[in-house]
Amino acid sequence: MTEDDFPEDFTPIAAELQRLPYMAPSRHFADQVISRVAKLNPGAQHELLPAARPHLGLERGGKAGIATRRRSPLVRTALATSTGVVLVAAAALMFVEIDFITALLAAAASQYAFVVAAVATQAAGAVLGSTTMTYLQAGAAEAALVYLTLALGLASGYFGIRAAASIAKERAA
Amino acid sequence: MATKSYADVSDQQVVVFAQQGREDAYRELISRYERPVFSLVFRMVRDRETAEDLAQETFIKVLNNIDRYRPEFKFSSWLFKIANNITIDHLRRRQLDTISMEGAPDAVTAESARATSIAVASSAPSALDQLESRELGGAIEKAIAKLRPEYRACIILRHVEDYSYDEIAEIVKLPLGTVKTYIHRARQELRESLEGVR
Repeated sequence: MTEDDFPEDFTPIAAELQRLPYMAPSRHFADQVISRVAKLNPGAQHELLPAARPHLGLERGGKAGIATRRRSPLVRTALATSTGVVLVAAAALMFVEIDFITALLAAAASQYAFVVAAVATQAAGAVLGSTTMTYLQAGAAEAALVYLTLALGLASGYFGIRAAASIAKERAA
Repeated sequence: MATKSYADVSDQQVVVFAQQGREDAYRELISRYERPVFSLVFRMVRDRETAEDLAQETFIKVLNNIDRYRPEFKFSSWLFKIANNITIDHLRRRQLDTISMEGAPDAVTAESARATSIAVASSAPSALDQLESRELGGAIEKAIAKLRPEYRACIILRHVEDYSYDEIAEIVKLPLGTVKTYIHRARQELRESLEGVR
């Protein structure tokens, strides 16, 4: 019973609120729910998505399979996060070994366009001479690897965070 | 598996049976709470079909996650929490042929006010309309319908389901002070709406 923490003139309304009748759902309510409980219907898990009313289907679509997929995002998050951390750490370590010009040329070569890299290489060859260019080109492959690793690391980290947020949201719900 | 009688069994114990995969335990939980949950959702969305869908969605979600239930909490609180989340979520997303009323009191932009506004579907007479034909009881149903969804959930949980303020705060995921304010304002609005009826 609720404590009487309301003014006296609300008493009749409070009494009436307590007398409000419960409304009953349809006769088949329980059967419809039971038919979509995964534990009781292991073979019918995809039927969690509603066939009827599309305005609710859209909302339910993402949520219905939560129970059956719950472990999967957890594993995915753990894997993606650890992979991301390892790749970013590897890239950071490798970065220390590379000089600035090599990194710039490699960035052009690996990320933006081969054309830019080719033009830059030609121009640099004319200015710096062939010995310096050989050194720079050797570093370019390493730098490309660094950037690729960084990109992969960031992507994995991003997806890891997204999966974690999604799990947190489901748990909160 | 033989059907068990759950007459004197607590919710927590029924949940344990359900966790063991007993269908009769699942059915018992549904039978205990289908009406309270359906009524809460119905009074929130004011549309029978939608309420039935949302109540079903609530039970499906709860029963599919029954293994994650923590017995230190009331089962009914957990159930109402999910029902409230699903219903508020629905009210925020729906874009039906509706008559919008004011948004949430803490809505600062037009968008957030729209997202939290209650929307009474302009549909054919419902079971609720029949209930409303009675004197004070009917007037109260109408008055509840005019409340903002957040107020509605709080006042129903407080006065219909007899939950404490703390439990309501847990169910609707709002600070205790906010819940008290909502209930206070809801009572004021109900009193004003019912001024001429009593």
